[in-house]
Amino acid sequence: MSPSGDPPSILVAEDEMLVAMLLETTLEDAGCHVLMAARVAKGFELIESQQIDAAILDINLAGQPSFELADALQERNIPFAFASGYGAGGLPDAYRHVPILQKPYDMADIRATVDTLLKRNH
Amino acid sequence: MTKPPAPPLHFPPHGLPERIENLRVKTTGDQVYAYPPLIVGIGASAGGLEAFRSFFAHMPANDDFAFVLVQHLSPEHVSALAEIVSRSTSMEVVEATDGRRVLAKHVYVIPPDATLTIVNGELQVTTPAPPRPQRWPINTFFTSLAEDQGDCAVCIVLSGSGSDGARGLRAVKEHGGLTLAQAGFDHVALSGMPANATSTGLVDVVLRVEDMPARLLAYRKQMDTARKLHDGNGLGQDMGDQLQTVLRLLHAEVGHDFSQYKRSTLMRRIQRRMLVCQTETVVDYVAHLRQDRQEHQHLFREMLIGVTEFFRNPGAFATLTEKAIPAMLAGKGANDTVRVWVPGCATGEEAYSIAMLLREAIGPHGGPKVQIFATDIDSRSIEAARSGRYRAPLQGISPERQQRWFNKEGADFCVIRPIREMCIFSVHSIIKDPPFSRLDLVSCRNLLIYLNADLQSRLFHTFHYALRPGAFLLLGPSESLARSSEQFTVVDKKHRLYTRRQMSRAERGTSFPVPGPAAAYATTPALTNRGDTDERIDRGARRLMEKYTPAYVVINANQDVERFSGDTGRYLSPSSGSASLHVFSLLNKRLREPARALVRQAFDGAKAAVQEGLTVDIHGRAQMLRLISEPLTDGDGKVQWCVLAFDEAWGSHTAMHAQPDPESIRHEGDSSNRLEQELEALRSELRTTTELHESVVEELQSTNEEYQSVNEELQSTNEELETSREEMQSINEELHIVNAEAQSKNDALTRLNSDLRNLMESTQIATLFLDRDMRIGSYTPAMTDLFHLREGDIGRPITDISARVNYPELKEDVAQVLRHLGVTERMLYGRGDERTYLLRVRPYRTLDDVIDGTVLTFVDVSESLRHELERGQLAAIVDSSLDAVIGYTLEGTITSWNKSAERIFGYSAQQAMGQPLSMLLAADATEEAKIIFEFRTPGIRPDKFEATWKTRSDQAIPVSVSNSPVCNSMGKTIAGSLIARDISERRNAERHAHMMLGELNHRVKNTLASVQAIALQTLTASPSLDDFKTGFIARLKALSQTHNLLAQDAWEGVSLAALVRGELAPYEDEQGTSRVRLYGEDLKLSPRIALALSMAFHELTTNAMKYGALSNSKGTVDVSWAVRWVDQRSWLNLSWLESGGPAVITPTTHGFGTRLITGGLAYELDGEATLEFLPAGVRCTLVLPLSESGSVT
Repeated sequence: MSPSGDPPSILVAEDEMLVAMLLETTLEDAGCHVLMAARVAKGFELIESQQIDAAILDINLAGQPSFELADALQERNIPFAFASGYGAGGLPDAYRHVPILQKPYDMADIRATVDTLLKRNH
Repeated sequence: MTKPPAPPLHFPPHGLPERIENLRVKTTGDQVYAYPPLIVGIGASAGGLEAFRSFFAHMPANDDFAFVLVQHLSPEHVSALAEIVSRSTSMEVVEATDGRRVLAKHVYVIPPDATLTIVNGELQVTTPAPPRPQRWPINTFFTSLAEDQGDCAVCIVLSGSGSDGARGLRAVKEHGGLTLAQAGFDHVALSGMPANATSTGLVDVVLRVEDMPARLLAYRKQMDTARKLHDGNGLGQDMGDQLQTVLRLLHAEVGHDFSQYKRSTLMRRIQRRMLVCQTETVVDYVAHLRQDRQEHQHLFREMLIGVTEFFRNPGAFATLTEKAIPAMLAGKGANDTVRVWVPGCATGEEAYSIAMLLREAIGPHGGPKVQIFATDIDSRSIEAARSGRYRAPLQGISPERQQRWFNKEGADFCVIRPIREMCIFSVHSIIKDPPFSRLDLVSCRNLLIYLNADLQSRLFHTFHYALRPGAFLLLGPSESLARSSEQFTVVDKKHRLYTRRQMSRAERGTSFPVPGPAAAYATTPALTNRGDTDERIDRGARRLMEKYTPAYVVINANQDVERFSGDTGRYLSPSSGSASLHVFSLLNKRLREPARALVRQAFDGAKAAVQEGLTVDIHGRAQMLRLISEPLTDGDGKVQWCVLAFDEAWGSHTAMHAQPDPESIRHEGDSSNRLEQELEALRSELRTTTELHESVVEELQSTNEEYQSVNEELQSTNEELETSREEMQSINEELHIVNAEAQSKNDALTRLNSDLRNLMESTQIATLFLDRDMRIGSYTPAMTDLFHLREGDIGRPITDISARVNYPELKEDVAQVLRHLGVTERMLYGRGDERTYLLRVRPYRTLDDVIDGTVLTFVDVSESLRHELERGQLAAIVDSSLDAVIGYTLEGTITSWNKSAERIFGYSAQQAMGQPLSMLLAADATEEAKIIFEFRTPGIRPDKFEATWKTRSDQAIPVSVSNSPVCNSMGKTIAGSLIARDISERRNAERHAHMMLGELNHRVKNTLASVQAIALQTLTASPSLDDFKTGFIARLKALSQTHNLLAQDAWEGVSLAALVRGELAPYEDEQGTSRVRLYGEDLKLSPRIALALSMAFHELTTNAMKYGALSNSKGTVDVSWAVRWVDQRSWLNLSWLESGGPAVITPTTHGFGTRLITGGLAYELDGEATLEFLPAGVRCTLVLPLSESGSVT
């Protein structure tokens, strides 16, 4: 995946444990280092303390929208994608350009999206 | 007979110098003249309105005139005269008020029941008017106008009956004003008043009403011109030269010399005539006088206008009191009468003066009755005298007498009744009419001076006849008894008081006055004066010829000798006894019989007769004589006198030429003896006849006297009748006016009556009028619906009429209203389909507020009740509606506001009513929304729309509006009504549903994502497809079961115990022993925690079933939990402990279950989870927050 040999760090902000476990498994299988956050606060903690190459943000984290995390990522120029059951219609205009992963996931789609995000970063 | 004035005359001050107010200034060249307006008094009675209208229609508003209208008005009625007259003129017409100044271009109208006078140019109104007999409003005003305005007064007498105004004209003439009267041929409704005025001879011009204004303007113009020409006194400078000419002409024509009169008086009077004749200079007037013989009479009358006064020449009255009255009253008792005659009494002042003297002498009570006959030939003067009404101030009356003998009535003084009743006024000519008789006093003053000596002499005879012996005669200061001194004796020479002498019976017989020729008075003065020279010639010639003519006597019808001519003494010889002029007493006895025959022939046959051959013994010698009688006629050809001539010449001639022979003398002697015997017999016969005749004459004399007294009685009766006639006339006039007013009132009433009838016929309200006895007065047609009424039922008691309505209380209600005089109301409810009436019983009040029955009105309220019911139902609907129902006008003003409107918009009905509907518009309302609130075009379109309006607290509120027009019965839109429904809840529900849908989608997708994860994870961990199938289905089932539990409580939460039992249910109650034990107080778990825990319990249960405590038949599972508070969050401590199962073998790899519990559960729930594979059994410990950080559960 990464040309440097260091596995790329992917932040997965997802509160649903089964889904998060699936994403973790899928991304780790793809050779990524996965950082998990079930809450917005945990997400900020990780963004500030860890090297993150790309992120997948569920729009709703235990009842809290994840747009603040998105803004923080954007500030740091970290590419990210939203994951949502709502589809593109539920997004505010400011995030129209952000890719969306529709639930339930197509695993190939997840890998392709993460690839694209990582490429954009470099 | 009107007495002419004695110089100096009383004259009013001339108008010009004093009257400086109310003036008008005229500028001519350098001179400035200021003249007051002429004040025109107009008097009218019945028919006056038409005349007033006609007059003012022709009279322009002019600064030179002011008008005062005096109309006979009924004192009891309000007058509309001012209003009526004002329609005919542009001048201001006002009712006269006290103290009002008379201004030019104004018309003043007398108020009813008032006396109107004028003083110093200000009107004086005195109320009430005097009682009818003394009510002469026109006279009163004219008199005061004349006195106040002098020659600036103009008086006009218009239509009316009666004679009011005539006396006033006299005053106007006296003061030099102008007088007009309406012409008889004019459209005079009643011509009595103008005709009476005209007959006084005091009216200057008689004209048609339409021509009067022009005449007034001309008069004014000439007056101004004359003033400009004349000096400050208003007297013509050229008058002086012409005065003598005028007086000469007048003297020559009417025989009265006015040259001794006061000069200024004469000049003023002549000038007055000049104004009337419209001649500018005296020379013109003289020319006019020469041409127009009538003018002499007019001028003469003008000169004669005078005033008499009370107690004129007080000295004479003092003498009368002192010397005559005591004698007149002496010996007279209560049954006797003192009789006085005042000929030429004019307006009665002298008669009343004498009455006062007599009353003062007699005292207030008892004494003889007094009759004062006051006569005059001028009927207007007599009318004035009869009224006994005199203008203040009274001339010649002392204050004591004024107080005692007069009553003050308004501006006038009226002689009190006792004095008035002493006087009898009548129209009577002293020359033509028979005199009164048996009088005690004749007061004839200032009358004789106008009569010539013959008439004077005749009047003295008359007075002599009329007076009792010893009675008194009072003459004027310049009159005296020249030739009748044998009939009267002087009592007081200075004051001309005489007493009648006692005379013989024979004389009394002959002194009966003979009525003279009717024209004697009028023509004699002229004849006497003109005939002076002729008479002198006649007298001379007669004296010369006397000796050639036979002696004669002229005898009258009474056979009294009136003239002796020639030597009649030869044939006459007075016989012994009382002296007499009776011809047959005087005549020689031998001549008496032949003379008697001749005289009879002359008087009866009116022809001459001659008796020849008479012999008379004269101075002892027989003388032959021829006796001739010749009748002498007066102007009418009637034999009044007879000339008896004694012709001796014929006798001597015969004697000379026919000497008798002795033969014939002898024969003569025989026959003369025989003749003498015959003669003697005849003589005695004649004497008897003569005596008989004389007694007949005496009888006639006394009969005549009886007639005299009857005549007097008739005269006083006539006078009374005259007075009552006047009263009747004035009553009649007032009745006339009252009648006219009543007529117009009647018209108005008829109209009103017809209005009322129409109202009664057309009204739908059943109305019934009952009298106090409940008898039917009248009713409207609608009443027949309520009672079986027919036309003939009027007057019947209503209780006799059967009613169509159920109203048994009628009688009680009516009685109660009559008792309490209030209004009673009652509803008469009909049975079934019958109508319902609202009944009102009111007292019937007459116009003068007397209760005279009751009025019942039955208003059919069936419809109105039905409407009320409908309205009530609608109102209930509106009130109970959850929607705001708002009514508004076509202009958009709110008129109704129901409770829901109040609830929805926050305004109370009181606050909202009257406000514009647009107050509900939000500030940021769109144009489209606003259009609904604009009502520029009439009509309201039915419409349904949704909008956002605002509440009182400015909150936006979504409403669904249904707008509809309110139409009247004609289909015309008269208002609008809208129903606004608050749709905010619906909006919320919609939004919620939308949100729920999105949420459902989200959750389904999340759930699918979970299922996907389970599938993939199970697949990864399953060695075979069968394993996958079993594991996957069991996990899905566990998930599904939790969803079931969540759905049960509508996703509110799940009981922890239920969650655990759901998983462990197959083992809990197996064979009556519980292998599963739960410890802890049950609590509700949020869906998230529930879902996560259910998955964890499923994995633990599956593991226990496969490998743990539940894999054998005796192992147990204890699940215990507790909630603790740490860091302001509640935490769930839960432990799963297995025991009794097979020995535990710690697995080498972490399966899905382990990962799920230790990784996933702690991750998702942000807690801690430990899983220990202890030898006695698996133990799982969970510490989980029950709420998210930062929030309190």
